[in-house]
Amino acid sequence: MVATKKTKKSLESSNSRLQLVLKRGKDALGYERTLKMIRQGKVKLVILANNCPPLKKSEIEYYTILAKIGVHHYSSNNIELATGCGKYYRVCTLAIIDPGDSDIFRSMPAQTSEK
Amino acid sequence: VGKFVKPGKVVLVLVGCYSGCKSIIVKNIDDGTSDRPYSHALVAGIDCYPRKLTAAMGKKKIAKRSKIKSFVKVYNHSHLMPTRYSVDIPLDRTVINKDVFRGPALKHKTQQEAKVEFEERNKTGKNKWFSQKLRF
Repeated sequence: MVATKKTKKSLESSNSRLQLVLKRGKDALGYERTLKMIRQGKVKLVILANNCPPLKKSEIEYYTILAKIGVHHYSSNNIELATGCGKYYRVCTLAIIDPGDSDIFRSMPAQTSEK
Repeated sequence: VGKFVKPGKVVLVLVGCYSGCKSIIVKNIDDGTSDRPYSHALVAGIDCYPRKLTAAMGKKKIAKRSKIKSFVKVYNHSHLMPTRYSVDIPLDRTVINKDVFRGPALKHKTQQEAKVEFEERNKTGKNKWFSQKLRF
């Protein structure tokens, strides 16, 4: 499996898209909330940090397979993901319910490693 | 993007005395009710799985080892793990419903109904995964 090295530029662009979603759209941050939203069928995309514990990662991926949602493996860790969201805590798992004005779905699915 | 927690879906119970047991969603309430303000589901599941059968066993032994003990319970969605499997057993909704938990006799009758359906399905050999104990 080739590890795609994301350049700094693309990281910044995905960050800015994330920020747009958080400002204009609806999201669920955190493992429990994402699972709840997935179960209710509201989620359009799930983003996982790269240091997400493997069991949690597998579980969320399984749920997304059942719900036919895309998963995006963010290229850095939960601290970076949270900073990208503008939060001061750590975020391992993030679900996007409504993208608002963001074009996150056009860009992210291309990088999605859906299993 | 779909709802996958639907009647007929096989789920694993994660919590309580039936944790690790496979069960089927009979009725799914997504938004909650006044006394359960969270999304929950009524499930009917297998408490004691049918045991393994071999060719060398006689009829009486097979009959004994194919017995299933079932349970009926209402669970919060976060206490269930959905799987990719689903079983379309015609569990009678008029018998298996939430009113059942009012009294033990009613509950027992419901569990009997579920047990009969599960045993029948197990005999036909379909949905094998459901009648196999989850080893963990």
